[in-house]
Amino acid sequence: MRALITRSPVGSAERLQGAAIWVVLALLFLLAAALSEAFLRPIYLFNLIRQAAPVGITAVGVTLVMILGGVDLSVGAVISLGAVLCAVLMNGQTSNLATAVLVTSLAGAAVGLVNGVVIALGRASPFIVTLGIAIAVYGLTLLYSGGTARGEVSPGFREFMNYRVGGVAPVLALAFLGLAAVMAWLQRATRFGRSLYLIGSNPRAARLCGLPVAAVTLGAYALSGLFAALGGIALLARAGVSSTYVGRGLEFDVLAAVVLGGTTFQGGRGGVGGSVAGVLVLVIAFNLVNILGLSFYAQLMVKGAIIIAASAAYEYVQRYH
Amino acid sequence: MTVRAVNLRARPPAPLSGPFAIFALLLGVGAAAALWVPQFATPANLANVANQSAVLAVLAVGQTFVIACGMIDLSVGQLLGLVAVLACDLMAGRSAWVAPAVGVAFAVGLGVGLLNGVLNNRLRVHPLILTFGMLSVLQGVIFLYTDRSTGLTAPEILWLANGALAGIPVSVFVIAAAGIAGHWLLQRTRFGLHLRAVGSSEEGARRAGIDPGRIKLLAFVLSGVSAAIAGLIIAGRLGTGYPNAGNGFELDAIVAVVLGGTSLAGGRGSIPGTVAAVLVLGIASNVLNLAEISAFIQMVVKGLIVVAAVLVNRPREKVSG
Repeated sequence: MRALITRSPVGSAERLQGAAIWVVLALLFLLAAALSEAFLRPIYLFNLIRQAAPVGITAVGVTLVMILGGVDLSVGAVISLGAVLCAVLMNGQTSNLATAVLVTSLAGAAVGLVNGVVIALGRASPFIVTLGIAIAVYGLTLLYSGGTARGEVSPGFREFMNYRVGGVAPVLALAFLGLAAVMAWLQRATRFGRSLYLIGSNPRAARLCGLPVAAVTLGAYALSGLFAALGGIALLARAGVSSTYVGRGLEFDVLAAVVLGGTTFQGGRGGVGGSVAGVLVLVIAFNLVNILGLSFYAQLMVKGAIIIAASAAYEYVQRYH
Repeated sequence: MTVRAVNLRARPPAPLSGPFAIFALLLGVGAAAALWVPQFATPANLANVANQSAVLAVLAVGQTFVIACGMIDLSVGQLLGLVAVLACDLMAGRSAWVAPAVGVAFAVGLGVGLLNGVLNNRLRVHPLILTFGMLSVLQGVIFLYTDRSTGLTAPEILWLANGALAGIPVSVFVIAAAGIAGHWLLQRTRFGLHLRAVGSSEEGARRAGIDPGRIKLLAFVLSGVSAAIAGLIIAGRLGTGYPNAGNGFELDAIVAVVLGGTSLAGGRGSIPGTVAAVLVLGIASNVLNLAEISAFIQMVVKGLIVVAAVLVNRPREKVSG
């Protein structure tokens, strides 16, 4: 019953739900700051944001699809495709940089568009369609790369992306925040953004009202593909080398962050801001584990436990706040 | 509200356009394979197909219960890997240790299934997120235990995976047993009826006097036990406990279940469909190997098969999202 009441579109209850993830983020941050003073230094904080950028940028796109009531499991494959394609196209030349980024973005958007076409026009389950497309995209990436790490980043690419504006904020971190801000504006202030929520809360009513459901679906999946490709480029900027399976499994990290941020699988709710908070919660948690000095394998265990615990805490705050 | 929270998409389960589509596809793929590649339809090769399909068949039958209940279990792949490693280490090639190894395998499968079920009921985290967390935890556990292949499979387990009984591969009996037992449990028992009721409408099931928590717990336990059996079979296939043995198997299982006509929204499940889908995937991969098609192209083909099959198998009346 409580759930029914809090699902009403307006009112303070809804706002409190949106705040739940920020409460979790604030508590976690206080805990982190208590354990290590590093968390209070601006440079370290921006490092965290930079670390969150690949998953975070991707999560921004996936959020749009999930507001629509869909899901995109192909983003891990598109991140890999983006990193490989961008590195190969750069080929170690600065002059190729712009072309590489542009072509990579278009390729990501194209994969997203294929997802959108099959889902909107074929009316098939997004979960399985994007899973199938993910397998196909891995195959294409392997065909393209020949199965080995190919390509070389342009000189200056990593230096630029990691350059600290004002000596503090890396360009990559700012790019993440900037992209998130643009999409937060898009979902709030544009007709496209509002349509996402309307279609997500009631697809049938949206169609009966004459909303362009197919077009909005295509747009959302294309944006999800585009942002995953940008996530791949961000990953390339951090790692410097590409590999075919660099994005494998990241789709679930992305989903964990988006769901933590308050966007639900049934659609119509949530938003980009929550997803950013969700990604930051995960990144701070992983850094805490690092600081505790656990081995990589122990970190995997703790990562899993944190994803479960943070989701549970979020559910708890949401229900009893 | 709680019902919608377990469903991936908040759509009422719609009837499939063709419940027999997957069987038609199986016949078509089988006939095409026999015509295209002469050596496909030889007894030795058909035994290969059965041996290659047994692991996924057992895993996917278990997953069918979870999905028909409106949930999903991503932890089975790593659970399978953990069981393979533990069982092989314990057996170390000795027949006398087969029984304890099988006991440990079942205990681990049961334990992880119980844990998933209890956490799912207690924490109310979405099963996708919960079991993804569990996937990460189990991966950590495996690699804390061993980071390389360990142990040796005993002859009995090798026979289970590769042997023959009265000239027929044991795998055929394994697949048939999993299919028949699963079908009976899902369609002919009170538990199966209750499970489908919970998957279709949790609130409705509750009002009819069913305890949804208990049913969901049992679904996860079934999935865990089937992953344990699959882990033993893969130990027999590989001959040793390979820590990465289960990587990606969870997604293959989900693909097979959905291709087989079980709806991700829950409420309906088809074990014969699941087994047929496993065989379609197995035959496709086998014949592409025989035709010496590159593994990369095979991935593209597999992805496209998934997308094509889900288009054929789609709900009749649905709203896009």
